[in-house]
Amino acid sequence: MKKISFPAVLSTAVLMFLFWMVITGQIVSIFRGEASWQVLTAGGIVSILVGLFASRFFIHESAFYLWNPARFLPFLFYCFIIFPIELIKANVDVARRALSPKLPVNPGIVKIPTDLKSEYGQSMLANSITLTPGTITMDIAEEEGQTNMYIHWIDVATEEPVEAGNAIKGTLEKWIGRIWK
Amino acid sequence: MEALRIVIDVFIGISVFFAFAGVVGMLRMPDAFCRMQSSTNISTLGVLGVIIGGILHSLFILGDSAFAIKLGIMGIFYIVTSPIAGHAIAKGAYRHGVRPDKKMSVDKYGEDLVEDLPQETVPDAVEEEVSA
Amino acid sequence: MIMQELVFFAICFIVLACCLLFRFIQGPSVADRAVAADSIDILADMALILFALYSGRSVFLDIALITALLGFIGSTIVARYLEGRL
Repeated sequence: MKKISFPAVLSTAVLMFLFWMVITGQIVSIFRGEASWQVLTAGGIVSILVGLFASRFFIHESAFYLWNPARFLPFLFYCFIIFPIELIKANVDVARRALSPKLPVNPGIVKIPTDLKSEYGQSMLANSITLTPGTITMDIAEEEGQTNMYIHWIDVATEEPVEAGNAIKGTLEKWIGRIWK
Repeated sequence: MEALRIVIDVFIGISVFFAFAGVVGMLRMPDAFCRMQSSTNISTLGVLGVIIGGILHSLFILGDSAFAIKLGIMGIFYIVTSPIAGHAIAKGAYRHGVRPDKKMSVDKYGEDLVEDLPQETVPDAVEEEVSA
Repeated sequence: MIMQELVFFAICFIVLACCLLFRFIQGPSVADRAVAADSIDILADMALILFALYSGRSVFLDIALITALLGFIGSTIVARYLEGRL
């Protein structure tokens, strides 16, 4: 069993408490001054218990890493500008393929390298790639110090790992590299 | 008010269109993995249009901000969880032995998996049971 | 203002979900069925959200949130079972 660190428990508990306030509707009534103290106390106790139990699954590195404008602003910029543009482009592309009468698909699984070292960065890149239609990350493997991703691609243009990586990752990896290293 | 109504209808209409494209893709695509790609189409823009339109509707027509916050949480929840489920199902299906009818043009994962599989399945499972 | 067309869009989503039932019944492999069930879940959630907006009652939103949670847990467990770790 791993050691329980205080910042990890605190950040998990704060997240769980926010979720509790949203679910019970307290987050609106606290601005109107009619929040119920019983509901807030029960939520606080439960979220601290959940934080003690679940923080070692959520937080593996430093807990307040994003608590820094130099990292948080690129994160927001990525979430609201860079990623939606890629998402819409890929969505239109896959919708066009599905609706066109000839069904132009050429599926295959390619292997692309990635330079990200951090665990959160790798999972964020993998989830971004899966979330854009047309590509699904199937596995992440590390061999000889180089991390590779296996990606199912609906229209294989090239088998060369670096070129395929540039075609799939686009600008995503550069922006994630600014956030997580 | 009429302009707002048209904007909301346009957002929800975009969502319906992408959901339609995803469903047509799921019915037409040739193999299981391509169908998964089309299902991502449903769970991204098919959801986000309804969420954005719903937030506008609940803020400016219903006037209920609790509604809007709950919808926003649902949108974040969908965006966070749907790639995890898609990734898990794709990997699980490949390891279970689902293969397309027609051979794929390039299959690096299959080539590498054949070398890994004998060492990976048997000892790891035993070790996990012991350590657990 | 009552927006009648929200119900129309909700019916569109339900019709799409019914079309996916074909893939759920006929799908040759287990993965097809799992993905189809997940997508039906999402489409039904969208219809629930639209009906909640139409009627102005937040009970339907809570139901949609819980359904989304259960759908995610279900498809993840199916994937884990397919991988042979359950």
